[in-house]
Amino acid sequence: MLSPAARRRWRRHAAGYAFTGPALVVLAAFLLYPIGYSVSLSLHDWDGYTPRWGPFVGLENYRALAGDEVFWRATMNSVAFVVVRTPLEVGFGFLLALLLNRRLVVRSLLRTLFFVPVVMSLIVVTIIFQRVFEPNTGLLNTFLRAIGLGAWAHPWLGDPATALGAVIAVSVWKNVGFSLVILLAGLQGLPQDVVEAARVDGANAWQLTLRVITPLMRPILALTALLSIIGGLKVFDLVFIMTRGGPTYSTEVLATMLYREAFELNHMGVASAIAVILVTLVLSIARAQTFVLDEAPEGGKA
Amino acid sequence: MSTAVARASVARRPRAFGQRARAGRVAMWAVVLGALAVSLAPGLYMISLSFMDNPQLFAGRVVPWPPHAENYPRAWVASSIGRLYWNSIYVSTASMVATVAISALAGYGLGRIRFAGRGIVYGIVLIGLTIPLQIALIPLFINLRTLGLLNTRLALIGPYTAFGLAFGTYIMKGFFQGLPRELEEAARLDGAGEFGIFARVMLPLTRPALATVAIFVFLQNWNEFLFALTFLTEGRMRTLPTGIYALLSSEFYGNYPILAASLVLFSAPVLVLYFVFQRQFVEGLTAGALKH
Repeated sequence: MLSPAARRRWRRHAAGYAFTGPALVVLAAFLLYPIGYSVSLSLHDWDGYTPRWGPFVGLENYRALAGDEVFWRATMNSVAFVVVRTPLEVGFGFLLALLLNRRLVVRSLLRTLFFVPVVMSLIVVTIIFQRVFEPNTGLLNTFLRAIGLGAWAHPWLGDPATALGAVIAVSVWKNVGFSLVILLAGLQGLPQDVVEAARVDGANAWQLTLRVITPLMRPILALTALLSIIGGLKVFDLVFIMTRGGPTYSTEVLATMLYREAFELNHMGVASAIAVILVTLVLSIARAQTFVLDEAPEGGKA
Repeated sequence: MSTAVARASVARRPRAFGQRARAGRVAMWAVVLGALAVSLAPGLYMISLSFMDNPQLFAGRVVPWPPHAENYPRAWVASSIGRLYWNSIYVSTASMVATVAISALAGYGLGRIRFAGRGIVYGIVLIGLTIPLQIALIPLFINLRTLGLLNTRLALIGPYTAFGLAFGTYIMKGFFQGLPRELEEAARLDGAGEFGIFARVMLPLTRPALATVAIFVFLQNWNEFLFALTFLTEGRMRTLPTGIYALLSSEFYGNYPILAASLVLFSAPVLVLYFVFQRQFVEGLTAGALKH
């Protein structure tokens, strides 16, 4: 016989699994199982059509990728995407958050409007920007000509030298509102007495921002950056619809290469290897970042 | 200047005295309004294009005058947007309901019951929060094909339910954790079981969190592109994003104003939803991000 206390404990464990059970089943089916499947498939050669997977090839798919110029191009582009996008996104977001962090009648209206691009569907955004960048009658070149900078008019998406920059710019445009909203909430949650004390001590706006507010915001800035980095590595829709990775792979990123390998070239094994690499990359960055955050004095609570 | 005055003046605003302060204010508004213009211009441009005809477009016009409202009925017919709406509403709503229900349960379990292995379960949820969903693309495609489920609504409802689940569970857990213990104890003394406490005492209190999850997950499903593109290879079941994408390769690509009108029709429900629920949107999002 179980003692009443033991029975209660058992019942508690059972209740825990009863409540989390459905979620576990769904996550296992659509998350854990696919991870295992991808890792396994990445060690095989398969065209995706013959009923059975092809032969086990060990790390051959990874080795093939290591020797594939396009893969390195895609990796470098993904990295560039993150390295250029994240500072811009977090920087502009922080600047705007600082500017909006005061009593303004229209503050919540402004916040609402700045968030609109975040809510818009990427496909809509992408199609609009294709038009904005259109060389002859697009908005950007029309605008440049109107203000006398016609010499700068350029086939932005058609030139391999500017295509990646143009795509990143769109990505920044779409996500600044997201950083802004999180950082603004963070600013409003800062301990007001500390900020106040610095003010009373005669700190001017610059000193206040650089020496008091920014250090206090560090954990939240780091979190915003982490979200942006992960989002940057995952990017697919934007590139796929806007440039399809072209011209001449100048905008190819890991996710678009994965899609092409799997569904246009029927290299299921290679595509799975890319998926595994992508996941490893994202998880290790997330891991490194939480590590850094935990090390930070107040980071644990961020 | 006495400290009392200084304190009063700095309580909320920056010092509003002197010319430098005024110059600062002007600069601030210039930056904010400039950024706002950049933020909104593309969307307004799309609306503007949707009222043009091709000659106006090719003339590089910005203001559509005279306006061509007939683009809208033409877009509606050309992109069979009615059916796309229906597919999108069906798929997005079904998976949203499933996600909300399952994540409320899981959030309660993780937030309020101390059971063995809770840390591992929560770890899986956190992995789900960060992992790129692309990892599931090939495995799901192959399995759905084997099961003959490609080009069905179910092919999207299952994955979409899963994709919102980590976020939903995360938010719900945080919210359940914050509820006072006394409520639960009172109900337990009244003889309520675990499920009774969840359903009758706790759940009604989490309405704001439920709304946040529902809206977010719905939006995410509504906009999802990659899986819809891959799993719906034929036209009939297409959701809006892939339906719009298909327009790009159709004859209408040459008729940009009609395409723009389709984009407006596609975006309108989401934007209306956003403006109506923008508080839940923004506050739910920040609560989720900041309450780690």
